[in-house]
Amino acid sequence: MAIIELQNVTKDYGDSRGIFNINLSIELGEAVGFVGTNGAGKTTTIRHLMGFLKSNSGTVKIKNLDAWYDAAEIKQWIGYIPGEIAFPDVKTGWEFIHQQAELLQLKDLSFANHLIERLQLDPSANIKRMSKGMKQKTAIVAALMANSPILIFDEPTTGLDPLMREEFIQIVKEEKAKGKTIFMSSHMFEEIEETCDKVVMIKEGKIITMESISTIMSNENQQFIIEFSNDQECNRFMKEQIDSVAISNTTVSVDVDNQTLNTLLAVLSKYQFDNLTEQKHTLQDQFYNLYSGGQLHD
Amino acid sequence: MINGTIFKQTLRSNVKLWLMFTIVLSILQVVMIAVFDASTLENVGGLVEGTPLAGLLAQTTLLSMLASTFYSIHGVIFPIIFIIMTANSLIASQVDRGSMAYLLSTPTKRSTIIMTQAIYLIMALIVMFLIETVAGIVSIQVFQSDTDIVVSDFVMLNLGLLLLMFAISGISFFFSSYCNLTKNSLAFGAGIPIAFFLFHLLSTVDQSLDVLNYFTINALFDTTAILEGENYWWKLSVLLGIGIVLYIASLEVFKRKDLPL
Repeated sequence: MAIIELQNVTKDYGDSRGIFNINLSIELGEAVGFVGTNGAGKTTTIRHLMGFLKSNSGTVKIKNLDAWYDAAEIKQWIGYIPGEIAFPDVKTGWEFIHQQAELLQLKDLSFANHLIERLQLDPSANIKRMSKGMKQKTAIVAALMANSPILIFDEPTTGLDPLMREEFIQIVKEEKAKGKTIFMSSHMFEEIEETCDKVVMIKEGKIITMESISTIMSNENQQFIIEFSNDQECNRFMKEQIDSVAISNTTVSVDVDNQTLNTLLAVLSKYQFDNLTEQKHTLQDQFYNLYSGGQLHD
Repeated sequence: MINGTIFKQTLRSNVKLWLMFTIVLSILQVVMIAVFDASTLENVGGLVEGTPLAGLLAQTTLLSMLASTFYSIHGVIFPIIFIIMTANSLIASQVDRGSMAYLLSTPTKRSTIIMTQAIYLIMALIVMFLIETVAGIVSIQVFQSDTDIVVSDFVMLNLGLLLLMFAISGISFFFSSYCNLTKNSLAFGAGIPIAFFLFHLLSTVDQSLDVLNYFTINALFDTTAILEGENYWWKLSVLLGIGIVLYIASLEVFKRKDLPL
């Protein structure tokens, strides 16, 4: 059963800004990453899910309820981290957490306390003086504390240090293991690679691909960069029956599938080379391919 | 349809401002009643005879003096400033800053938010004028015990002023609900009430500016009619009506609009 479903959703802000004909379906227990450049329409899409924006056409449904008309009812299942964190006019982090808990009619704060401990947050601090990272952690606690079955995050790790980002990824993995449905936008590819089943890419308001992470990361085809000791070796290698492309006088890039990997190694043993590196297929490559039309070489 | 948690939060973050304005308003009222001395005014009246100011000082009862001072200037502009600041902070500034996202990410209806905030603003005004009226009545008893004052007229002046403020708060609250940006909310929510205030003030300065009275709802709070026992009820009912319509309109636009949260 699709938990989140968008059908032909269009929100036109003019000047080809907005989102156009978005179709998206997220199943129960699925984790979907949402990537795209700035201004591609990620936040606009998420605002539709939250019932903040009304689409010009198309339907947005969460658990089969209309995200605009039944916005309040839907919220009982949603934990949300906004893209821009702005807290209400309260003094401390605790005051904010308690107020959110009250609005969510949440009595038991034990999970909130657990998260606070893991994220090393000090909620007794003055909320207006909190650093960006502290605010982000407070927002994360508020979004997760009610154990909501659907989690919608808009760039949840902005401002977190690498250690805390790692901790957050762990938390999201655990939430996913509990069977939660997760939809999150991010600019951190590793984050999505580690936590999500699928990735949706949006460009200029249109969804350009929706693929499973395992397909993108698949290593059926491997690419190696070989750096030879000198030009002669390199030229000699280019004449072999192997699919290779010269990158410079001494380096070549080779594409092999799992079957021909042994052949490559056998051939290579007859050459003098300095360096052999595998080019990982990552979400990042995929992203660069789709957005700038070029392969990324480190 | 009203949320206790939101109301408490609104009260906590707005009560200081309310208290400040209530105290200033009550002190102004008390001071003006205390310093009133019919005989001094008569002397001054003699000095300005034949000038445009003569009309202003023609009648020298306590209530008519208050009507042309407190109930047209201080008692009007102070609550207007309170309304402008409060109405904007209740809705527009929370949408502009983005903190409204936190209320709306919980199972709270948009209509509940608007009604809770509207109730706060209306209650704040009612209690403010209740305190001001009581302070006025007490100081009349203390400082003007020998003067003959119709208390019911005094109460009507305050009720009239409250209804005017209710209508004006409707204007500011409507633009706070309608606009997503504080600057726009303030441009209209402050600009219109202040323009109304100035039109009314100018119209009392000179006969030739009387026409301005047709462009301000402040003229519907007709102090002369109240003091001279003319029929003023329809004017006050119009103020009440304007307020009610604007509050309902606020609810409807907020329910339907896109929120950039």
